[in-house]
Amino acid sequence: MPLYETVFIARQDISTQQVEDLTEQMSAFITEGDGTVAKVENWGLRNLAYKVKKNRKGHYVLMNIDAPIPAVKEMERNLLLNEDVLRYMTLRVDELEEGDSVMMQNKTTRPPRRDRDEEVTAKETTTEETAEATTPVASEETPVVVAEETPVVAAEGEA
Amino acid sequence: MSDTRRPFFRRRKTCPFSGDGAPKIDYKDVKLLQRFVSERGKIMPSRITAVSAKKQRELATAIKRSRNLALLPFIVK
Repeated sequence: MPLYETVFIARQDISTQQVEDLTEQMSAFITEGDGTVAKVENWGLRNLAYKVKKNRKGHYVLMNIDAPIPAVKEMERNLLLNEDVLRYMTLRVDELEEGDSVMMQNKTTRPPRRDRDEEVTAKETTTEETAEATTPVASEETPVVVAEETPVVAAEGEA
Repeated sequence: MSDTRRPFFRRRKTCPFSGDGAPKIDYKDVKLLQRFVSERGKIMPSRITAVSAKKQRELATAIKRSRNLALLPFIVK
């Protein structure tokens, strides 16, 4: 049976209990169609990057599915009909992810401040890169920079 | 190597997604994808980020998927 990954976003006004009920309903469609739900992940209430149907937040749920096509189609049809679901996306994947996805890993590693540091360094590198790319003329006109760069080139040529 | 090499030679940067320990491109990894998106929310060209052509295509689809799920913005005003 093909493997799928489904993410859907539920309305922000519904309770977490209702989100769980909704997930259960959807997994029922899969199990009825002779499929299995390998994993369910609840990412919780997240801010949306833009407004979707006048909502600023949404409950995200990820489901890893191993099911025949008709079962998945039926589940998608019901996701479309359900008014609590803002958006959904089902992807066919070559293999299902074992363990937590990136989203859950980020959540668990939040309490120690390491995340913040990583983010800062990441930002710095990107800004450095862009700065380099946007102002190549200015830096290369100075002879010092050229002199600095030439040994590197020579070393590369020898190697 | 002679001295008549191009004066504006710049060491090639390597693709951040190839080689050992490279991160996997995934539409769920917002933090990773955000580094390859401009402040306005546009996908950065690979000539700036040095992502290889193959990985850039993969990255573009991942960013677009993430946008559809409202994990990344289409535009930032």
